Amino acid sequence: MGIGSGIRIGPFEVFAPIQPAVSTVRQYGEHHFPGQLFVVEGIDGSGKSTQLSLLHKWLESRGYGVVFSEWNSSPLVKDTTKLGKKKKLLTPATFSLIHSTDFADRTERSILPLLKAGAVVLCDRYIYTAFARDVARGMDREWVRDLYAFAVQPTVAFYFRVPLETAIRRLLDARDGFKFYEAGMDLELSDDPEESFRLFQGRIIQEYEKMIPEFRLTMIDATLPIEVQQAAVRQIAQRHLDAAKEVRVQA
Amino acid sequence: MRETYGKLLPGMRLSDLAGKLIVIEGTDGVGRSSQINLLKPWLEELGHAVLDTGMTRSLLAGEGIRRAKEGNNLGRVTQSLFYATDFVDRLENEIVPALRAGFIVLTDRYIYSLMARAIVRGMDAEWIRSIFSVALKPDAVFYLRLGIDQLVPRVVFSRGFDYWESGMDLYPGQDMYDSFCNYQAALIAEFDRLSQEFKFETVDATADARAVFGHLKSKILHLLEADSRSEFLSRLSAKTIESPARNFTELLAAAERTASSNSDLAAAPVSARGSNGNGHAHYFQK
Repeated sequence: MGIGSGIRIGPFEVFAPIQPAVSTVRQYGEHHFPGQLFVVEGIDGSGKSTQLSLLHKWLESRGYGVVFSEWNSSPLVKDTTKLGKKKKLLTPATFSLIHSTDFADRTERSILPLLKAGAVVLCDRYIYTAFARDVARGMDREWVRDLYAFAVQPTVAFYFRVPLETAIRRLLDARDGFKFYEAGMDLELSDDPEESFRLFQGRIIQEYEKMIPEFRLTMIDATLPIEVQQAAVRQIAQRHLDAAKEVRVQA
Repeated sequence: MRETYGKLLPGMRLSDLAGKLIVIEGTDGVGRSSQINLLKPWLEELGHAVLDTGMTRSLLAGEGIRRAKEGNNLGRVTQSLFYATDFVDRLENEIVPALRAGFIVLTDRYIYSLMARAIVRGMDAEWIRSIFSVALKPDAVFYLRLGIDQLVPRVVFSRGFDYWESGMDLYPGQDMYDSFCNYQAALIAEFDRLSQEFKFETVDATADARAVFGHLKSKILHLLEADSRSEFLSRLSAKTIESPARNFTELLAAAERTASSNSDLAAAPVSARGSNGNGHAHYFQK
């Protein structure tokens, strides 16, 4: 098989996805709702949010009902998370639990009902973020996976893979310094925030790498130009949306 | 050595948790808090340091849960996990440090109430057990049991119906009374099941508060005596029994040595932060 796919969108050649996004390893509530769930994953500075917002605009322009849900944004829970972070009350265990509570609220209140209603739901970070971060903080791998057993399995989980140094350069260009928990300062790996960030995010990357086969994450090379990545993302999303339409026509 | 229900939280040491963990369980309105209000001063009078704790009292999540319950849009999974957050915060920052300091921890509800509530709300029993596998096994669980017939008048005629105590999130469309009966009956059935599995000490809560208190006192005394007896025996069987006087002199000498060698550091800041063993300050002495 050649490297190229022969498929061109605009000036770019698009690569076909390596694997389908259906997990056979774990059944995280495989849904049969009419909606579609696309999620983006990757470390800070991988460019995943940029990619998701471009996908969002494109889907809207094509007339889909699109809803966006961000990590750590539940109106019921986020104040508690904020308090925990500000006062540094969070341990690895409560960090894990409060984020799962936030995710549960968004699942129950928006993600699940919207998928039932046939919406295209876009999530910036999903359960894989929790798996990577919490395990990097020392939580038991199985325990964290069980914790999120209520989650809906995404149609496609895009993993934006980027070398650590590239991500750090992007982050330092965009702002100054790292936040306490983001840099894993609670783990006391290093007193220097940049060094701590490097060590902590390195662990997170290791966890993501293990999850690519485990959960069949769809990998996108996040060092490519933004437009190339986006073309690949759109192509993959389009294929699932077309398939969903056919199912609905037949039904 | 103390055990958990299967999983160990990062950084949590189970050695040297010398205190006693005593759980008072039961549905709403069985008189759990009244009993704790009697037990605490009684234990203190006997010379034990006591920490009392209970649901939604964590610094981290207590206020958040109260706020979330003001509306009626707290989902079932969210609810279970919010309470788990509250529980683990208190486990790590109150219960474990207090046990390490030799306190008797009296807890108003423990993981069993949280399991019962979640299971009655349709959560997977294995899922909820997995989450609470990080909890410490207590020294005793006293399950204050009241049938639904006795429970209704106690709750209704004292404080009236509460949205969550009546399980209105579970049975929308019913009136508070019907919903309360259905919900509390389901909880009692689940508690009875858990009682078998986790070997609760069931206490008939139909008796008046004084009688229940008397019963609990004798059980707790038995627990504490058994403990001090075994401690005494182990000390007798230990080969070297140091004389307290000699011990004291040695300690004094050691203290003086440390003081003189550290005199140049006297001005250095002293870290007096309590720790639960994973580097986080605790706040059980509120």
